[in-house]
Amino acid sequence: MIDTIIIDGLAFALPMFIMAIGGIFSEKSGITNLALEGLQGFGAFTGGLAAVLVMQTVGSGSQLPYYVSFIAAIIGGMLYSLVHVVMCIRFRANQVISGVVVNILAMALTSFLTKRINEGVFSQTSNKFVLGTSVRITVPGISRIPVIGAVFRDVYPFEIMIVFIAVIMWYVMYRTPFGMHLRACGDNPHAADAVGINVNRVRTAAVIISGGLSAVAGMSYAYSISANFSPDIYLGFGYLSIAALIFGNWSILPTLGACLIFGFARSSGQAIIQQLGMPSTYNDIVRILPYVLTLCLLIFFSKHNNSPRALGEIYDKGKR
Amino acid sequence: MKKLIVKLLGGEKLRMARISLFAILVSLIVGAVILLAIGKNPLSAYGNLLQGSGFLPKSSYAGRQNMFTDLMSFLDALTPMIFASLAVAVALRAGLFNIGVSGMMLAAGFAASVTVGHSALAAPIAKPLAVIIGIAAGAVVGALIGWLKYRFNINEVVSSIMINYILMYVFTFYINTFFLDPISRQSIAITDASRLTLTNVQAFGLKFNIPLAFVFALITAAAVGFMMNRTTMGFEIKAVGLSRRAARYAGISISKNMILSMTISGGLAGLAGVTYFCGYFASIQPGVVPSMGFNAIAVALLGNSDPIGCVFSSVLVTIISKGSIYMSSQQGVEVEMSDLITSVILIFAACSEFLRMYVDKLSMELDPGREVSRT
Repeated sequence: MIDTIIIDGLAFALPMFIMAIGGIFSEKSGITNLALEGLQGFGAFTGGLAAVLVMQTVGSGSQLPYYVSFIAAIIGGMLYSLVHVVMCIRFRANQVISGVVVNILAMALTSFLTKRINEGVFSQTSNKFVLGTSVRITVPGISRIPVIGAVFRDVYPFEIMIVFIAVIMWYVMYRTPFGMHLRACGDNPHAADAVGINVNRVRTAAVIISGGLSAVAGMSYAYSISANFSPDIYLGFGYLSIAALIFGNWSILPTLGACLIFGFARSSGQAIIQQLGMPSTYNDIVRILPYVLTLCLLIFFSKHNNSPRALGEIYDKGKR
Repeated sequence: MKKLIVKLLGGEKLRMARISLFAILVSLIVGAVILLAIGKNPLSAYGNLLQGSGFLPKSSYAGRQNMFTDLMSFLDALTPMIFASLAVAVALRAGLFNIGVSGMMLAAGFAASVTVGHSALAAPIAKPLAVIIGIAAGAVVGALIGWLKYRFNINEVVSSIMINYILMYVFTFYINTFFLDPISRQSIAITDASRLTLTNVQAFGLKFNIPLAFVFALITAAAVGFMMNRTTMGFEIKAVGLSRRAARYAGISISKNMILSMTISGGLAGLAGVTYFCGYFASIQPGVVPSMGFNAIAVALLGNSDPIGCVFSSVLVTIISKGSIYMSSQQGVEVEMSDLITSVILIFAACSEFLRMYVDKLSMELDPGREVSRT
């Protein structure tokens, strides 16, 4: 039972972690990003579409659609994040409103396009792209260690990918000039501007990065939890990851902890329901666990956070 | 071109309304381009939207139905939308972004359904009681979000999304376990005595629904407008929304006004919930967060969070969403088209502030001597 909790918890927590890293990039640069929800959904949509198209040509046995879908998702998420960029930076819209608008648009656009494409290209009436769950990898040897070994058992390939990307992103954020500039833009954009950093360009890059990372998360959920792309992918995981990054105080490692807590809360709830043999309707009660936990954690940690100082402010050169 | 823009959108008189109209126009053009791209005639599609909402006659009607039937059914859908958009607008005025309207609607609808809706109370008691319970349920959720924001500095967007999902799953559990109608897969329908819409009224040889709360919705809009523009309470709420620091300096309690505005907003969302779940519908579908709460954000932004503006933009957005079913059946366009048009409207509405500044800049360039208007 502990093994399933660890396996399922990691499969849920790691995509959320990569999405939260995207959120950290955007928010550290000074752009409030509530659009993560829409970005992950749109990424999953483009990825799902690419996978279905590739599957038609190479057949379902191949692993090719799986990897193509992630690349397509990243490109789609990056492109779609430009909507948020344009609204926040070019049109100076309120960033909170813009984020929510991006989410609503993503929901409407992807469900419209999914139906349309299913009808036009595959001539069937359906609002989903069926993907199936991905293969799982078990590392021989280490996975036989009790308890800890579960980390290496039934691992989705995307989890490995996510760990890689996360390490790279950590390096970019804390060890490169770009990361330094990015954090400066979020804390004191005027000072950053004074030393010759183009604030809006850095922020644009940050939001685009968050789009790509969120798309990885969306695609991972499409391949694991839902096994297809449908409008059901908008379950609020994007908002959960925002809660995780607030709880993690806008830095990457504590955020990982927050994501793991959410993941294990969710999987242990489900395991308990299964263990007690309760009817499936009780699953709905357990599903609230991550959300309730988020609220409780926010209650304890929101007051003492140090968010980027210029978070949510439109950069105005002439100010002050 | 620039002159034309300044001429149309510059100047003081009703300028926000004109900018909103501009946003709508651009969105409808975008929608028309999409419709053209998928090979449909946009004019007849938009005509279908009006026909489906009872503003234009359809080519044929079923027995005992005509345009009036459609119009009444349209008003029935419009009523909760007005309440929901007012809920968003009141919170926006206090600088809070209430995305939890959907959850509050569910809370109100569920509370009213299981208490009054499934009881044997007579209509004169049941209907007002349902409304009161709805207001109370919504207000409690609203107050909770406001309190969390003030007391623990939790971003209201994040907390209300969490609360939306928590409420949705809890009610789904209760409906599936205790109140499920096995045939419709929804909650057990409420009694006609407690329903806020009179269904299948027969008069003038027609059969139609009467939304009892529609007039009440208009009165509420006027009352909210009065409260916002003519009372101390409204002034304080607006002051907190415009600048917290200035409001605190003027001795206005921020905590009180933040919680107060969220409570009012919650109460209005509760009204939307009862008129939606115990009026327009008579049951609750488990596992679904009503999309009206999100559309209401578009409506409130488009109406510039002004109560009268909200009523007009509610009419527009409801025409799009209500008429889309008829449009879909006539044109073979997906129902989701309506959400798409609504969200495009939302994008342009969110940029309206930029448009306002841009028009100011243009008019300054064209006429450097003139004093530029503020707000």
